[in-house]
Amino acid sequence: MAYYARKKTITVAPLAASEDIDYKNVELLRKYIMESGRIIPSRITGTAPKQQRKLTRAIKLARYLALLPYTDQH
Amino acid sequence: MRHYEIVLLVHPDQSTQVPTMIKRYETLITKHGGQIHRQEDWGRLQLSYPIKNVHKAHYILLNIESDEATLNELTNSFRFNDAIIRSLVLKRAAAITEPSPMVKKKDSGEVAAVAETVGPVLNEAAPAEAVESVEVGE
Repeated sequence: MAYYARKKTITVAPLAASEDIDYKNVELLRKYIMESGRIIPSRITGTAPKQQRKLTRAIKLARYLALLPYTDQH
Repeated sequence: MRHYEIVLLVHPDQSTQVPTMIKRYETLITKHGGQIHRQEDWGRLQLSYPIKNVHKAHYILLNIESDEATLNELTNSFRFNDAIIRSLVLKRAAAITEPSPMVKKKDSGEVAAVAETVGPVLNEAAPAEAVESVEVGE
């Protein structure tokens, strides 16, 4: 039986558990969006599910306040 | 009494009115027994996308403690104030008094910070991620 394991390609330095994931922390959030403005999936960044949920929430709030773009076509 | 976090985006042409606006809200909050725990002025920032054909906005952050009626009065006044192009109100679990990352960044950067913390320091290490619900108004 062949067993295929998908290899995680981690591109961003892992987040500390204590890291302050806040919509006001734009510099941190910027690492987790693509150039096109999309949120990078955790399978690429290696972010823990709990933190990915926090990131998603924070990025969406930052977008509403125009601190981050929704897309690169604005 | 509940804790709320408010972010306001003010039209850049009305930037000079910001101090009087904050003072007006402060009197409204304190009149009803509320309190302002944190007040920050992030200054005029470039928007990531234009809102109402405006490319820059003056950002204000307020962490307040008030009752629901006062908050409703506040959000209503945001809606009918033409100078405010966008507003965000979040519920928070406790008073947050330490400076936000936006101000910390400015401190290390080239612009001088205009941050000030108002009121007594109730909870030094307040959980910042304790967002219960989001109320969004434009």
